[in-house]
This record gives sequence, structure tokens and C-alpha cells, in this order.
Amino acid sequence: MKRLLARGAPLAAFLALWQWAAWVPISFNFPTPWQTVVALAELLGSGALLQASATSLQSLVLGFGAAILIGVPLGLLMGVVRGVGRVARVYLDLLIALPTAALIPLVILSFGINVVSSAVIIFVFSAPFITMNAYGGVRDTRPRLVEMARAFGASWGKLFTRIVLPSALPMILAGLRLGLSRAFLGLIVAELLLSPFGLGKLIMNSRSMFEHDKMFATVAWTLVLAGIALAVLARLEARLLRWRAA
Amino acid sequence: MSATLGIAIERLSKSFGAVQALADIEIQVKAGEFLALIGPSGCGKTTLLKCVAGLLPADAGRIVIGSRPVSGPGGREASLVFQDFALLPWATARENAEFGLLLRGAPAAERTEAARRALAKVGLAGSFEQAYPAQLSGGMQQRVGLARALAVNPQVLLMDEPFASIDEQTRRILQDDLLRLWSEERKTVVLVTHSMEEAIYLSDRVVVLSPRPGRVHRVLDVPLPRPRETLDVRASGEFARLVDELWQILKKMQ
Repeated sequence: MKRLLARGAPLAAFLALWQWAAWVPISFNFPTPWQTVVALAELLGSGALLQASATSLQSLVLGFGAAILIGVPLGLLMGVVRGVGRVARVYLDLLIALPTAALIPLVILSFGINVVSSAVIIFVFSAPFITMNAYGGVRDTRPRLVEMARAFGASWGKLFTRIVLPSALPMILAGLRLGLSRAFLGLIVAELLLSPFGLGKLIMNSRSMFEHDKMFATVAWTLVLAGIALAVLARLEARLLRWRAA
Repeated sequence: MSATLGIAIERLSKSFGAVQALADIEIQVKAGEFLALIGPSGCGKTTLLKCVAGLLPADAGRIVIGSRPVSGPGGREASLVFQDFALLPWATARENAEFGLLLRGAPAAERTEAARRALAKVGLAGSFEQAYPAQLSGGMQQRVGLARALAVNPQVLLMDEPFASIDEQTRRILQDDLLRLWSEERKTVVLVTHSMEEAIYLSDRVVVLSPRPGRVHRVLDVPLPRPRETLDVRASGEFARLVDELWQILKKMQ
């Protein structure tokens, strides 16, 4: 009961504030929560939302998947081979500091207007964080554990799989969560600014038609998708890092 | 199983850059002996232990365990016990105890069996096997560390201030347990400590190292009767006299 209240109260407050904002209204054609829900049901019913989601998720899977497949091994390599780490760090710091949206025209020029260029933007948004975390994870490895394993005659391979990798795992997983949030950000930025695809296109279209309820519904839906994806990752994390809860 | 081995440390020197850590160390540890290394901080006692474990290469001189000269880490004769336990936080007590065997490629069934036996020896049988280090007290964590060292059945135990970060009451219990284990297993033990009481209570001989560079300053025999864990040796006048003698030696070095 107490937990329910603790979880429900912020949501209720948020909805009340939203309702009030629509009553005032704080801007032209501001939809109420209920109008948004109706629009969401409508969009789901017509299939437009699911179709847009499928398109968006496609570039998300492509971009985020590539970010994991390249970012994690690269970060591990940077951590294990000092020289690689020192050099690559500089570029990663630059990439993180860069206003990534500024890259979009370049990406369009290189890849054209399609799902791939959305995926590239998503990759650029998320990969540096995934890489940096994997790198930091390796560097967090306690030297004492390495010493202990060496004293038992651990080979280089075993040192990596039995000491370095599990030491880095918490940071790697945190990096994936951070990267996933950044991937959703990249997705919407890409679809709003460059390509008439997916959820971003739906948001833009609704806005240009003054269908603000539909626009809100799409944004809310995107949040739900991101929330589900993050929850799945959190579950994975809790499973893999059982020992931390102990 | 296998005969107990002695350790010969011959004219050992070790420098870190321009700093000489150890100079001409000459120590013979007899098979089955319990030897303590003590000295002011900076005397290189931990460095010496790491050389014996093969973790640090010597600059000059050599170390022989049994008949095999130490040439690198991973020798099967000796196991290390660490001050900070060096347990894997993501592994259960049993998995930690198995770790040495895992690294040496022992099959799973054999590992489990050996780890169980070792955990039982250090008093951690049963439900503790499945506990993670964070769920165990410092004393229990060090028991796991000791079990890991014993599980590979070494002839030599190298202990680097194993009880330094454990509270006094638990430390005394662990010291007694160690003495019991030692008398049952008859392993050669080299213990680095900064506690004079601990050195006298546990060992047959105490080697006092002087600092910068570390040299053998004195060797003190400890002729206290055994089994000390049952004889209440701490309360004896002889114990007090030996601790004081050790203190006088160390005091003059300050």
C-alpha cells in the first residue's frame, strides 16, 4: 500500500499538473491527458503508430546493436592495451563533447535519406558512451585481483575472462543503459531533423497539421518504448550482477 | 600426500629503480617450519614475500622452494594469502575457494570437492558456501581466502599480513585456527606481520628485517611449547619476555 502510494503519487501529481496546463491553457491547442490517451488509442487502432514504431525500432536496433558490437570490444581493447586507450580517449572525448546534431548534414550527404542514416546517427549518439564505460570498467579492475590470479598461474586469456571482464561488467552494463537512452535521443533527433521516417515523422506530421493530441500521444508512446527497453536492460543487469544485491 | 618443502633464499637483492628494497637476503626456511617476517614499514617484507611467490623477479640471488628455483608466478608449491583477502566479489565463497583450481584447469567435480574440503577445514561448511564475500564478515572472508590457498594443496603457505585488517577478538580465533591447521597439515609457512605478539605467538623463528635497504637484521628463536592454541601460551611469562625482546630489537632500529 505504502509502495503503491509512493509510486502513484508522483504520477498523479504529474497528471494533475498536465490537466491544469491544458485548462489554462498554457499554449495554443494544448491537449489534456485524456485527449492524449484517446489520440493514442486512435493511432494504435489505425496501425499508424505501430508501423512508425517498427520503422524506428529497425534503425534503433541497427544503430544501437552496432554501437554495442563495436563499442564494447573497442573499450575493452583500450583498457587492456594502454597505448590504444591513450590515443582513442582523445577522439572519444571529442566525439562526446561534439554537438552531435551538427553531424546530421554530413551523415545525410554520406548515406542519403534512409533508415541507415538514422542508424548512423543513433550509433554516433550512443557508441562513445558505451565505449568509454567499457574502458573505465577495465581500468577499475583491482590490481590485487590480477596479482592473486597471477600467483595461481593464470594465463593471459584467463586473466582477461576471469578477472578483467567480470570486473568491468558493472560499468559495461551501466554504459549500455546510458547508451540506450542516448540511442532513443539520437533516434528522435535523426527522424525529426533528417528523415521522413518512423516516430519522428509522425511527430512532425501531427505538429504541422495542428493535431497536438496526436503529437503528444506519439511522444508519450516513445517514452513508453524507451521505458520498456530500459526496464529490460535493468532486469538483465540485476540478473548478471546478483552478487551486488547480496 | 607430498613431502613438505623448505625454502632457500640465497643472496637475494631487489631494487625498484634507484631504490634498493632488499639487499643480500639470506634465509633458510626449514621444511614444515613456521617463520615470521617482521620489520618497520619500508623494510621490504612484503616485497620479499612477493619474490618468493614469483610475482616479482629478483635482481640478484635466487629462491629455491624444495628443489625448484622460483622463476615466475604460478608455481604449484606455494599459495598466497592476502591482507585484503583478494576475493572475487562476484563469486560465492565456494567459487572463490575453487578459483585456484579453476585457473589450473582442474575438472569441475574435483574443484567442488576440494573447495568443500578446504572450506570445512577453515570452519566454513554448509550454507556459507553460497554466500558472496560482501555477505561475510572480515574474519570469514579471510577464512575463504585461506580455503582458496589450501584447496590447491600447496606445500608452502605465504601469508601477507593476513589478519591485519581483522578485529582483535576475531584475529585471536583465526590465529588459533591457523595453528591447528598448521599442526594438522604440516605445511611450511612464511608469515609477514607487523604485530610482535602475532609473530611470537605463531612462529618457530622470527626474522627481523631492517629498512632501506631491507636486510636480515636478527633472527629470533621462539622456543615456546606447542600446541600453543591449547596451552594458553599468551599468559606465560616466557611469551611476554620474547615479545619484549623483539620490541627491544625493533626499538633500536627506529
